[in-house]
Parts: sequence; structure tokens; C-alpha cells
Amino acid sequence: MKRIYLLASSLPLLLLLALSIGATEVDAVWATIFSFDFTSSTLDNQIIWQIRAPRVIAAVLIGAILGIAGTLSQAATNNPLADPALLGTTAGAAAGVVIGVAFNLVSLGSFAAVVAATIGAMLATLFTFWLARSALQLIIMGIAVSAILTALVGVAISLIDRPDLRSISFWSLGSLALIAPSDLLALFAIAVVVLLIALTLSRELDLLSLGDNAVRHIGRDPQRIRLIAFLTLSVAIAASVSTVGTIAFLALAAPHIARFIVGPRHRTLLIAAAVIGAVILLLADTGARSIAPPQDLPIGILVAILAAPLLILTLKKGQMQWR
Amino acid sequence: MAIMKCDGLWLTRGNTPVLADFSLEIQEKSITAIIGANGSGKSTIVSVLAGDLIPDSGSVKLFDKEIDHFGLSELATIRSVVLQHQNFWLGYTVREVIEMGQDAPSLARVDQVMRELGIEKIAGQSVLTLSGGQAQRVSIARALVRDTAIYLFDEPFSSQDRESRQVLIDIFQGLKESGKTVVIVAHLADSDLGWCDHIIEKLA
Repeated sequence: MKRIYLLASSLPLLLLLALSIGATEVDAVWATIFSFDFTSSTLDNQIIWQIRAPRVIAAVLIGAILGIAGTLSQAATNNPLADPALLGTTAGAAAGVVIGVAFNLVSLGSFAAVVAATIGAMLATLFTFWLARSALQLIIMGIAVSAILTALVGVAISLIDRPDLRSISFWSLGSLALIAPSDLLALFAIAVVVLLIALTLSRELDLLSLGDNAVRHIGRDPQRIRLIAFLTLSVAIAASVSTVGTIAFLALAAPHIARFIVGPRHRTLLIAAAVIGAVILLLADTGARSIAPPQDLPIGILVAILAAPLLILTLKKGQMQWR
Repeated sequence: MAIMKCDGLWLTRGNTPVLADFSLEIQEKSITAIIGANGSGKSTIVSVLAGDLIPDSGSVKLFDKEIDHFGLSELATIRSVVLQHQNFWLGYTVREVIEMGQDAPSLARVDQVMRELGIEKIAGQSVLTLSGGQAQRVSIARALVRDTAIYLFDEPFSSQDRESRQVLIDIFQGLKESGKTVVIVAHLADSDLGWCDHIIEKLA
């Protein structure tokens, strides 16, 4: 756990570093950052505080949210393969927003879009939950539900020719460039609430790793634990998808990397996965902005470059066994 | 007195009848062994007695009340269950696994039970590093720390050496002496069940 505190305390430094790096050269970059003057209308100030800062903060919040959501999905399905994209949650969130926008119920970047995504994510996840007859089936059913919803989103976007629906690639390849500063407060609130709910569930998530029968035998209902976890991760994923689109792989990798560092107990694992997710997404997005300016590389590429080797390393060195 | 009673149970899996008009009585404060060949459905009986599995028809009574009328938490105060296979995939310690989800009185018995089962020395070890026999005793420990009227064990000796087997037999007899009801499932080939009060053979 010490190592996680160390990593967490490095976050402010990383944040400042990320603020100083970008496509545009800013002259007095550190002076501008340490002025903490959010309102000045000089160009440098606008670049740092109005363009980079929201994005950097969003990277941390969404990274943490994805880390928590990934941990919840692995715990709830008792499966190291699980991530919210495999449960139908991610596609459900995208479908929720697309339908909402298509019917003029919500506009992108609004809080209403987050609500539409949450409804979509919850319905899709509950549908998977209802279809599956075992913990293992959750994954395969989720993949099927995902495929249907992704196809529906594609068809909807093609049929309804509206620029504000954004391209199909937005929903499949997210980008933090899309963050609206007005989303940050909602993202922060959702990150905190999701973490708190997940933490209160942490002992039950530990117990669930022994299998459904072991849970039932001491008088708890494994499906109830699973349902709370699913609803919570639906909110988390909805917040992330509706603001920056789909960011693949991080929700799968962060819990494994965190587990290697702090062990399997969910109380610490959830916090560690949030920190790992935040650090990886912050580094990935900083790379995406600055490696080949003025191009903004797809965030998925950078996440994969950073997280995949770490995932391989932790799994090789770790002691987790596969059933 | 019969503490559990199964009457005319039918259960089919696909087209294969696993239970065909199966009946059984478990006597209170005794040790009952259910024996059978591989695939005879003896583990199914444990699941039925545990309340995990509802047969297609027939009645399963616990204290003269249909078992499906008990709530999960009520059932948990009456019976403890140890299934044959326990898959661990996360590296919790032995002590953590035994303590997971247990109430305060059960937690207070953890040290004693670990000593009785000879696993106190591996309390801090990851469950992923255990031998089959040790893992089985960890599962058994989870049941033994609980104070319930009935204990159900599915093939508790399957991975145990002679010495550990004797330790378990002593524990089961101790349970009976303190007024508990013990049901074990054993393989047909197990020839040393003289210490049990009742032996029921489950034919395929």
C-alpha cells in the first residue's frame, strides 16, 4: 500500500508536468502555471488553464473511474478477463447518448448526456445480467449484447445524418480532447460517489471471489452483491463514455497492475486501481498531445503502449492462477 | 429424530435422471455417510441438502419445514457446507479466506480451528500456493468456525493423507459429541467408515 501512496503523491507533480507539455510552445510556462491565474486572457494563460488544464484533470478523473469500474467488473463476474466493455456497459452508454441526441432529448457535453448514458449503460448491463445463467456466462452474453448495441449505434449514426452525433470513431475511439470544462464537476462528483459505494462493497467483493456457493452458504446473496457492483460500474462507465468516448483496455489492465502492487483485498485494490488508472491515462494523454504535434494521437494507442507491457509484466511476475 | 428428510426426490439433467424417487433421512446428533460410485449423484444430494439445488419434485425438509421456505441467512445459521472443489484465483492469505464474511463469534474461533486442522503455520500464506489437501482443509475451516446444527461435507477426505484424515474423523466425532449432526459424502471405495453411525448408499 505504501507504494500506492507514493504513486498517488506523485500525481500532483505529474499534473504540473502534464500542464507544461503540449503541442504549442508556451514561453514562460512555469510562471504561467504557478500564477494559478485561471481568468487572465493572455494566450499563454488560455493555453495552460483553459485548454490543457480541463484535459489534464479529466485524464486523472476518467483514469480513476475506469480503474474502479474495471475492478468492479472483475470482482462481480469473478473473472480476470472482465471489463465493462465485455459486459455490454460501454456499448450501452454509447447507445444511450446516441439515442438521446438523435431524439433531441439531450445535447452532447451536457449533464443530460451523462444521464442518458447512465440509463443506457444500466439497461444494457442489467440485460446482460438477466440473460446470463452463471458468472462465466456474463462475459459471453455481455459480448453479444455489446455487439448488438454497437451495431445499433452504427446504424443510427448512418441513418440520422447529424453532425452533433459525432462520428462512429468517436464512440469507438475516445479522445480527451472532447472534454468540456463544464463536465469536470460532474465527473469529479461521480468519481467520488462511485469510489465510496465500491469501498462499502469491498468486503463482499472479497467474499465473492470464493464463488457463489460459498457466499450463499454463509447467508449472503451473491446476485445482490453483483447487482450493486453492476449498477455502480454502469454509472462510472456512463460518465466516462458520455464525456470522452470509449477508452479501451485501461479498465482491464489497471486492476491487474494494482493487484500486483497491493494484493487482492478490494479495500486497497479499489484505491490502487483508481490511482493506477489515473496515472496511466494522464501519461497516455500527455503523450497523445505532445508526441507528434499538432496531431492528437488516439488515446487508445498510448494507453496500449503504456499499459500492455505493464500488464504482461505483472501477470508474468504475479501469482494469479487461471482456472 | 430425523433432522433432515428427503422424500421422493426427482431430478433430471438433460435426459439423465440424477435422482429418481430418492428418499433419505438424516438422524439428529449422528454422523451419516452417503457413499456412491463416481457419477452416482452423491454430490447432488449434498447440494440438495444444502438448499443450493431444488429438485424437480419431491420434498426436502429441515426441522420438519420445507427447505425452500428458509431464507438464505436463516439457512446459514442452521447448516454449514463444504463443497468438494474450491477454486482460489486471487492471492488472499489462508487466514483472510477463512475469515471472509464471517460473523464475530465465528471469527473468535478461527485460531482454534486452524490449530485443530494443522493449518495455523500457513495462516499467512497465499491460498494460491497451497497443496490440494491444504486448500481442502481451508474450506473445511470456513465451515468449522461456524456454530451450526448441521455440517455437510462433500468428499472431505479426497485430497487428505492418512494422518489428516484421522484428524478430520476426530473433529467430526467431536462435533457429534457436542450435539451436532454431520453428513459426509464418501467414495464407494472408502472401506473405513466404521466410525459413522449410518451409511447410505446412493446407487447410480
